[in-house]
Amino acid sequence: MREYAFFLGCIAPNRYPGAESASYKTAEKLGIKLLDLEGASCCPAPGAFGSISLEIWYAMAARNLCLAEQMKKDIALICNGCYKSIWEVNHKLKHHKELKEKVNEVLKTIDMEFKGTIDVWHLAELFYDPEIVGVQKIRDSVKVSLEGTRIAVHYGCHLMKPRKERHFGTTEHPTWLEEMVGALGAEPVEYRNKMLCCGAGGGVRGYDLVHSLDITNEKMINLKEARVDALTEVCPFCQLQFDRGQIEIEEKFGVKYNLPVLHYCELLGLAQGMSPQELALDLHGISCEPFLQKVL
Amino acid sequence: MPRTKGYPEALDKKLADTRLYEDERHPEFTKTVEKLSMSIPHMCYQCGTCTASCPSAPRSSYRIRKFVRRALLGLEEEALTDPDLWLCTTCYSCTDRCPRDIAPTDVIMAMRNLAFKRDIIPVNFLKTVQAIYTTGHGVPNNDVNRAARKKLGMNPEPPTTHAFPQYVKGIQKIIDYYELKKNADRIVKEREG
Ligand code: SF4
Ligand code: SF4
Repeated sequence: MREYAFFLGCIAPNRYPGAESASYKTAEKLGIKLLDLEGASCCPAPGAFGSISLEIWYAMAARNLCLAEQMKKDIALICNGCYKSIWEVNHKLKHHKELKEKVNEVLKTIDMEFKGTIDVWHLAELFYDPEIVGVQKIRDSVKVSLEGTRIAVHYGCHLMKPRKERHFGTTEHPTWLEEMVGALGAEPVEYRNKMLCCGAGGGVRGYDLVHSLDITNEKMINLKEARVDALTEVCPFCQLQFDRGQIEIEEKFGVKYNLPVLHYCELLGLAQGMSPQELALDLHGISCEPFLQKVL
Repeated sequence: MPRTKGYPEALDKKLADTRLYEDERHPEFTKTVEKLSMSIPHMCYQCGTCTASCPSAPRSSYRIRKFVRRALLGLEEEALTDPDLWLCTTCYSCTDRCPRDIAPTDVIMAMRNLAFKRDIIPVNFLKTVQAIYTTGHGVPNNDVNRAARKKLGMNPEPPTTHAFPQYVKGIQKIIDYYELKKNADRIVKEREG
């Protein structure tokens, strides 16, 4: 069993606890044990915090990294926003001596030091990596096949972009998450402008909600056109924007989509036999019922 | 879709005049942006690939190409006072596609940092800071969620600063080191009373 410090972030534990719960359980079935990272905080939000001061954003993210360094464990996480903060700050501090020294000056005031001894991973990339889990093992873990459902994937932005800094290959037309959806028995469905942002990031959701929802609405139009039963993603912030966002879209623009939105870990949980109750799917803004009826 | 944020009148007038005035240029602004962004906006040849990739462009007057131009020409005032500065979702599409290897997204982030130094910042950004200062979380727990966690057999408080509030002190120390909370409180109070 491989062990990782599980960096929770904010939205999964505080808005979609089913996604958190599913992560522990699905990972464990695939040979990954997620350990509590006690005292971790907001990553902090790369858009809001980074816009104010990159320097403070580095220091705050570094504190979270230090907690995992103390545990001597790599970090695994389930949110693209967290990935942006935690992965990127780890990467930057490891490669820029001057930056690291500056951050460590601040951390000294709380008796911490960033050493650069661990790595950071998105749980989805660990699942996909054949040396760790791999698509075949995911397929083998399925108890309730999602056969007969059409599922679209939203990759989000901060996991794979900027491409040159990351290690995921193409950001124009990736298909690795579709493979992981296919492994659950569902039919992965392509749709127009798949890589378009959810619209929430960069502080825009808070700054100009209508603008932000208008981007989300464009995605919703494209998803509707593809006649999918559900949308899956690997970022609770995107999830919030698509799920609760659909309610706001109805309020602001008068259009209704009723498209269930599930984190990949929730979807995997269902396929591995977890019940909708165990996934707290009733907390979702948009009912997952129509999708569940096709599956269960 | 109607614009929800308008231009200040002075800037509106300014933008109607597209000529470049030497006295509005601050070469040190270009340098500061380059240092903060770790990118190279002075290499921009204004091809517009970034704007063409931008999800915010079709639904607003926000043009990322224009901001990169401002960075390379040192047009500090125009860059920092433009409310469109806050419409970038940081999706990094422009960065992935720029043929000159510039990171327009990081240029925007650098400009936002510089704007903040002049108190130019939308309050929602500051409220996130205030929430993190108090609880450690930008999006803190609530009662509905606690009940749901309980039902799932989980601790109602996640094992973060929520279950271990003793860690909040360290976070506050970091934020106070930069006097960020003090400034956030001051600006929010000025705006909202
Ligand atoms: S894509 Fe790059 S080179 Fe082209 S206008 Fe934008 S920043 Fe300049
Ligand atoms: S990162 Fe910002 S400027 Fe670049 S394409 Fe995305 S929203 Fe537009």
